[in-house]
Formats: sequence, C-alpha cells, structure tokens
Amino acid sequence: MSKLKNYIKRYFTAIGSLLIGMRTSMKVFMQKSVTEQYPENRHTTLHIPERHRAMLYMPVDENGKNRCVACGLCQNACPNGTIRLTTATVETEDGKKKKVLEKYEYNLGSCMFCQLCVNTCPHDAIRFSNDFENAVFDKSKLILTLNKNNG
Amino acid sequence: MNRITEKILTIVPEAVVGTNGEEIVAIPKESFRKVAEALRYDTEEPMDFLRDIVGMDWGEEGLGTLYYLECTSTYNRITLKTVDHDRENAFLPSVCNLWKTAEIKEREVYDFFGIKFLNNPDMRRIFLREDWKGYPLRKDYDMNSNPLNMENEINADDTDEYFLNPDGKIEGRKNIVFGKEDFVVNIGPQHPSTHGVLRMRTSVEGEDIRRIDPILGYIHRGIEKLSESLTYPQTLAMTDRLDYLSAHQNRHALCMCIEKAAGIEISERAQYIRTIMDELQRIDSHLLFYSCLAMDMGALTPFFYGFREREMILDIMEETTGGRLIQNYNMIGGVQADIHPTFVQKTKEFIIHLRKVIKDYHDIFTGSVIARNRLIGVGVLSREDAISLGTTGGTGRASGWSNDVRKHHPYAMYGKVDFKEITYTEGDSFARYMVRMDEIMESCRIIEQLIDNIPEGEYRVKTKPVIKLPEGIFTSSVETSRGEFDVMIESRGDKSPYRLHYRSTGLPLVHAMDTICRGGKIADLIAIGGTLDFVIPDIDR
Amino acid sequence: MDYYNLQPILLGIDRYMNSIMPGWLVTVLEGLAVGIFIMLMYIILAIILIYMERKVCAAFQCRIGPNRVGGKGGLLQVPADVIKMLTKEVITLKNSDKFLYGLAPFLVIMASILTFSCLPWNKGGEVLHMNIGIFFVLAASSIGVLGILLAGWSSNSKYSLIGAIRSGAMIISYELSIGISVLTMVVISGTMDIQGIVESQAGAWNIFRGHIPAIAAFIIYLIAGNAEANRAPFDLAEAEQELTAGYHTEYSGIHFGFFYLAEYLNLFITSGIATTLFLGGWMPLHIAGLDGFNAVMDYIPGFIWFIGKTFFIVFLLMWIRWSFPRLRIDQVLALEWKYLMPTSLVILIVMTICKVYGLIF
Repeated sequence: MSKLKNYIKRYFTAIGSLLIGMRTSMKVFMQKSVTEQYPENRHTTLHIPERHRAMLYMPVDENGKNRCVACGLCQNACPNGTIRLTTATVETEDGKKKKVLEKYEYNLGSCMFCQLCVNTCPHDAIRFSNDFENAVFDKSKLILTLNKNNG
Repeated sequence: MNRITEKILTIVPEAVVGTNGEEIVAIPKESFRKVAEALRYDTEEPMDFLRDIVGMDWGEEGLGTLYYLECTSTYNRITLKTVDHDRENAFLPSVCNLWKTAEIKEREVYDFFGIKFLNNPDMRRIFLREDWKGYPLRKDYDMNSNPLNMENEINADDTDEYFLNPDGKIEGRKNIVFGKEDFVVNIGPQHPSTHGVLRMRTSVEGEDIRRIDPILGYIHRGIEKLSESLTYPQTLAMTDRLDYLSAHQNRHALCMCIEKAAGIEISERAQYIRTIMDELQRIDSHLLFYSCLAMDMGALTPFFYGFREREMILDIMEETTGGRLIQNYNMIGGVQADIHPTFVQKTKEFIIHLRKVIKDYHDIFTGSVIARNRLIGVGVLSREDAISLGTTGGTGRASGWSNDVRKHHPYAMYGKVDFKEITYTEGDSFARYMVRMDEIMESCRIIEQLIDNIPEGEYRVKTKPVIKLPEGIFTSSVETSRGEFDVMIESRGDKSPYRLHYRSTGLPLVHAMDTICRGGKIADLIAIGGTLDFVIPDIDR
Repeated sequence: MDYYNLQPILLGIDRYMNSIMPGWLVTVLEGLAVGIFIMLMYIILAIILIYMERKVCAAFQCRIGPNRVGGKGGLLQVPADVIKMLTKEVITLKNSDKFLYGLAPFLVIMASILTFSCLPWNKGGEVLHMNIGIFFVLAASSIGVLGILLAGWSSNSKYSLIGAIRSGAMIISYELSIGISVLTMVVISGTMDIQGIVESQAGAWNIFRGHIPAIAAFIIYLIAGNAEANRAPFDLAEAEQELTAGYHTEYSGIHFGFFYLAEYLNLFITSGIATTLFLGGWMPLHIAGLDGFNAVMDYIPGFIWFIGKTFFIVFLLMWIRWSFPRLRIDQVLALEWKYLMPTSLVILIVMTICKVYGLIF
C-alpha cells in the first residue's frame, strides 16, 4: 500500500516541480531582455572600461612629440616579438651620440595584451587605448607604425 | 626531517634528501616501486593521493620524474624523484596500480620525454600524433624534426605495454582498446557538448556505454615548452590561457610560486584583492558550469540565466582588470592595477542580486523532476576512486573527499576568512552539481567578509627589473574553480625557468570519464561530462 | 453562428464550375486548387510558427530574438532562411542507401500534410472529411515515424541511427497515450467524425463538459503530443547536445528543410487536434446564461477561433519546451509505460462511467 502511496506522491511532487519551473520561466518571460545590441548602441549604452586593452598607441604632447627614447625595453619585454623598433644614432649639438626612434612597428595580430611593454616603459611612452574595432580584411594592415606622426 | 622521509630512508638508505628549494627525496629507480608501495599502504599515513607526475630532463643526469604525493587524512605532502640515466632507452617502473591517475600522467611523461613505464597497460602518445618523431620536452629535441603533417591520423585500436620478462629483458605487447565487434561512436572533437575540442571514442551497446577512450591534444600549444624560453614575467601571460575560467587563480599560483622562490613579500592589500578576484572568478566559473550543464541536458533557458549573471561579473572584473576572459591581473609582487573606485560598491550590489536570483536557478533546474532524475544516482564515483583518480575540486568533494587547498594548505587570505568546505557523500552527478551551486554561495560569503576590509597600502611592491630565481625546485598550489592547480618550477638560476610544469585540473577528470560512465547511457555521458566540468585548454596545455 | 459557414459558398462554386465544364476537369481543377491552398497554408504557417518560436524562446531567455533582417522585428528573418535553405546544395552521401535517403524526408512531410488536411478550420472548412476522421489522423501521423527511421538508417551515420531508433521507440510508445486520450474524447462526443466532434461541442467545449477526466486527458494529450512532435523535453531523437542533430544529421538543403517544416507543422497539427478535441475547434466560447455575450462571440468567425485557440496551445507547448531539460530514453519510455499509459486508461474508464451515468455537462 505504501508503494502505491509513494507512487502517487511521486506523481504529484513531479508535476509540482514542473509547474514551479514553468512559473519561473514565465517570470523571466515577463522581464525585460538583457541583450545589448552592439552596433546600434555604440554611441548610447556601450561602455568600454578605460582599462580595457585594445590596441597599443603612443601618446603625444601638444607639439606632436612622443616620449619614446628608443631604449628597446618594450621590445625585449614582449613575449611574442610583437614590437619592432628601428633606431638611428644621431649626434646632438653638444657632440654626444644619442639613439633616436625611427620607426615603432607594432603587430596587432600577434599582440596578446599582456601589458608587459607598458609596464616596463620607463617614460610612459606607450599605452593601451580603448579602440577595439580593429577588424581588417588584410593581415598586413595589422602591422601598425605607432610613431608615424613625428617620424 | 619528518616521519615520512625517515621511513623512506629506513627502506632505502641510499635515498638522497635534496633541500634545494623544496624538499625532494631522490630514490634510485631499482627500489622506487618498493618505496612507492610502502608509502601508498602506510598504516598511519597512507600517501593515497598522487597529485602529479612531472617528467624531467636533467641533461647529463638522465631523464626522470617527480612524484607529488599527499595523504588525504593528514594532508602532509612529499615529493619523490627518480631518474633513469639511460637517455636513449629510459625505463621506469609504473605506479598505475597504486594510483589510477598514473595511467594517464605516465602517458603524458612518455609523450614528452620518451620515458617508458613498465607495466602501464597504455603506453600510447597522449597529446601528440601517434607518428610524432622525438620527444619535444627533452632539451635535445630538434625543433625541425616534425614539419607540418597533412596526413590524417589513424587512431590505433590497441595500446603498447612494456614489461620486464623473468630474465630481465624488456618486452612489449599489445592491449586491445576496441575490438572488431565494438560499435564505436566518435564523440568530438567537434561536438556541441564536449566543452572544447575533446574527442571521446565511445563504444556503446545500444544506448549503454561500454568504454570511453579519450583522445586529447587537439589544441595543445606546448605552453610548458614555450615557457622555458620566456622570462618569468612573460610566462605569466600564458596562465590565463590554460583554464580560462580560472584565469585569476592560475596566475595567482604562478605568481605565488615565483614570489616564494624569489623571496618577495607582497602587501596585504594585494592579498585581499587577489582573494576577492579568485572568488569572483570562481563564481563566474560555476555560473558557467550551471549554464553548460543545463544546456548539455537540453534546457536552454537556464543556460541564459547563468550567462546573464556571469556578464555582470565580467563587467565588474573588466572595470578593474581591463579584461573579460584574459584578465592579466596578477603580477609578480602584487596586482597590475589598483581596484577600480566602483569595484567595492558594484561587487556588493552584485552579491545581493545573485542571492536573490539564485532562487530562480534552483526553481527552474535543480528542483525540476526531470533534472533530478537525470542527475541523482547517475555516474557515481566512489571516494576511493576519486582519490585514486586524483579528481580534485568539486568532483572529489562530491564523493566525500575533503580536498580543498584553500582549507588544508591556506594561501593568500584564506587562512583568515571563515568559510565552509562543501562536501557531499553521494558522489553522483547531482552531488557534483550541488557542490558547485553551494560553492557559489560560499564564495559570496568569502567576498563579503573581505570586501569591506581591504586594507590601505600599495597594491604592488617594487621588484627587480630582471627577476631571477635561485636554483632549485619550487611549487605552489591553489584551488582553482575546478580543482587543485599546482605550479612546479625548476630553476637553474636564470631569468627563465629550466622547466615549468602545471598540474592540469582537467586531465584526471577526463581520465575518470571511463570509470564513471561505464554502464550509463549516451545521454548520461553528456550530463556526466557537464558535471565534471573540465575545460579543454587546461588539459591540452 | 452560421454566418460564416463555408459550405454553401464552396458548394455554389462547385455547382457553377460543373455548369461550365466537364465533371472530370472540375475534379482535377478543384483538387489542384485545394492542393495549392494546403501547400501555401503549410508554408505560411511554418514561417509564422518558426518566427513565433524564435521570438517566444528569446523572450524566455531574456533575449530579443531575430531583430535585424526586415526592420526592427526581424520579420524577414525566416523567409530569408527559407530562401537560404532552398538554394543550398542537396548533398548525397557516399555509402548511403540513396533511394531510402531521398525518400525519407518525403514520407515525413507527406504524413504531416495528410494530417494537416484533416484540421477543421471552420464550419464546412475541412479538406479531408470522412466519418472516421480522427482515426485517419492517428493513422496518417504514424507514417512520419517511418520516414524518421528510414532517414536514420539510410544515412549511414551512427548518430543518425541512434537518433532514429530512439525516435522509433518513443513515438510508437506515445501513440498509445495519444490514442487513448483521443478515445476518451470520442467517448464524450460520441463520434469519430472531426466535424461531428466539433459540432458536439456547440453547447460547451469538451474540456468543460468532461471536467476532471477531460482536463487530465488534455494534459496527457499535450505531453504525448509533444513527444509525437519530437519537441523538447522529448527531442531526444535529434538531441543536439548528444547526437548533434539525430536522424537528420546528414541531410542538407531542402531535404533538411522538409524535416524542419514537418517538425513545426507537427507542432501546429498537435495543437490543432487538441483544439478540436478539447477546446471546441472553431466553436466560439459560449457561457450558459449570458446570451448577449454568446451572440457577440458568434460574430467572430470560426477560423479565427480555431487559429486563436491553436496558437494558444502552441504557446503552451513552447512554454513547456523552453522550461525543461531533456529526458533520457529510458525515462521517456518509463514515463509513458509507467505513468501516462495507466493514467490515460484510468481516465478512459472514468470518462466512460461519467458518460454512461450522465455525469458530464
């Protein structure tokens, strides 16, 4: 007899649990959806935290000069060989030899955003920006020259 | 010198206790089996949990392995070392009948170092192709010996076994995995429910599973090999890419190991932040676990519930760390950046929200009679098997094995907060599921205790520009979202490691699939896989 | 309530055509017209249902659903998918049984269209009308499982085979419950003629007339019907998490499209039959004693009643689908043989007793 009672009890607890599930799903059905519609919300609700690492750039001062001293620490810190510096040695007015930056090449395609280059830079010459829309059709376009503004 | 070391020395007087870095007992290979058996079946303190086997190439000294053992009642640990001097034809005795997890770990060592283990029934390659030439983690491996191979790999249906015949010669024989009469269904590597590129050759009889043979290595990136040519700060970048749902904890482990070796003291503020981040990550991972388990069982709606809340965690973490999946936050000496001004407030709000919304999770899935019938009593893993297979984390705790590293070997702030270690005794899928769901609440409690008390101070101490570790072997272990994660560094005093090894939390779980699933249905296989909660990039390091 | 009777109009058209052309031509033309009409309805309904499923499922999952193709609501998403499916290559597999492989989707869709033609859309608006209509529906719907079995067998794929065999075992079992709960309603209506069943509900719908046993039979019908239509939580024949796509894993293009269409139309048919049997088909809602209300209800055309009620049940089934996890094959069969079948037999007996002793309204 208790077997039959168990059977009936199981029957109704089972139906009850399913109804609770349906109540929950209906509750969510009534709630507002949480989807973010990306290209549409670009200028409205899209929020990119300022610490987000999307792409390396070189901040410049008001004269358009960057702060790079071509020391090459970032190049050595990079685990992937993403950064390539081309330097030249020039003679300053007081006759000292000084290394200057010619070309700062940055391969976005192989960067893994570990931030070692930024951490290691003694002059705060490179930073990560929030411009995350970097998709291109050609791989060669991912190789960027960061110091193009001031040669 | 502790009791276990003394015991080893009485059995094998010629054993050498090395104290370079951590204490390691070197045992000659001839008497290794004897020691292993004595430790495993010790009456007072049986070393029943084999944490890891690490293959090593010690150059002139030969090829060898490190065995990390732990006792599951006293939580004492010991590390054994054994070496074969013959580099060309290295043989070591297998310990797979003492610890089942050795079956698969010895395969890994064989795959990378070419050490053959006598009497291990399955000496196939594990991560690499069966026709791979050479053993890549050896120091003398020629990087050009395996050009890109476009041929299909045919999986053999049998395995190699090596054994010592009575007159002292080594012979091989074949063991059959799948016979001609087996109906083998190939699940993966491209399959919706293997949670990554895992492949399981499954032999079935009707719907019943007879045997599972996991085939791994589809996304193996050789992170351990890569790390040998990177400086210590550079190796950190790889940890986020192991188990991406434990990114913080993995990195925490490696940072801890390096800090310990280099003698860097980190500030209390950084410890607090690390602990909070670890727990946030754990909630994140367990929410994803809930989602994926629900989806594996055909319930797509709960899947989105989990993702909805996980998104909030990711937003909180992104605000502070700048990353969502690849966090890149822990650094040697502290953390990358101080917590964001809104972090404390948002985290507290999130926990309040989660406590409210978690009821929905249980209403729609946990309580549902269908989910219960699918999970309760299915895929039972006994405590003995769990320990022997080394299934740490929630899987082990569901079988009644208290194995939380946070409790038994506290690190960061875990010694100072009050939290409960969730254990169940059933060992079935439902227990594995409930362990994770309860751990979400425990993690909330841990965060609540810490979040208001983050002390002032620097978030990162200054370190030397070039970090060099002293010579020796160093380890650290943390509890990641899915089990014990160990880092082992052997340093030769350079700025990059001589060998860096990670204990995969997922490898024992995948190995356990065969034991757990036998006799179950195909649908159970998927559900069990969901409750074991493995992440493939963590297995295929 | 006879304002919207279609029979006089249709008969009028038939008489007119007979007066201007020979009889055989009339039959051919009428057959063609009806065929085209059914096909069109079939496609249109499928598109509506797929769109509805996407939107409803999105709402259950805190999402928006299709929202780009064709304006803000994504109205053109499904037509675009149909076009995509039509233009895709139909792949033939090596080592498959080509004839059976090609035949299977047609069997499935044929079964679905045959049952579809039996739905009573309106007073006098039924395509296949016969005095054992409901019996014919049960018989015709069983052809579908043959198609599924053949698809799984002929694909020469292990996933397909497992899916097909699961499906076969399940559908054949659940036909019992469906049959018995349909029988319960036949008992209360006293006829197997579909129009007759609807007519018998002129006073009150069966679900009210038969009170407790009818409601229980309704629930069982919904569960079993859900299983018949291979929908979650009974979708283990295609169980995408286990068998990728089950019996139609190896199908592509329009062949896959047939399975897909049939799946959604089976949902509609299941709901349509439920409407007919339990909710009075095209009968308007009448409440005894409220004559004014009843008169207003009569002004709403029958086909709107029918479609409205059917979509209500469709929504109910979608709600179920998006709430529950999937069952395992042995649990599916246990549920049928240990719970639904005994219950439906008990209900049948109770209903017969009620009918005999006049305990129904």
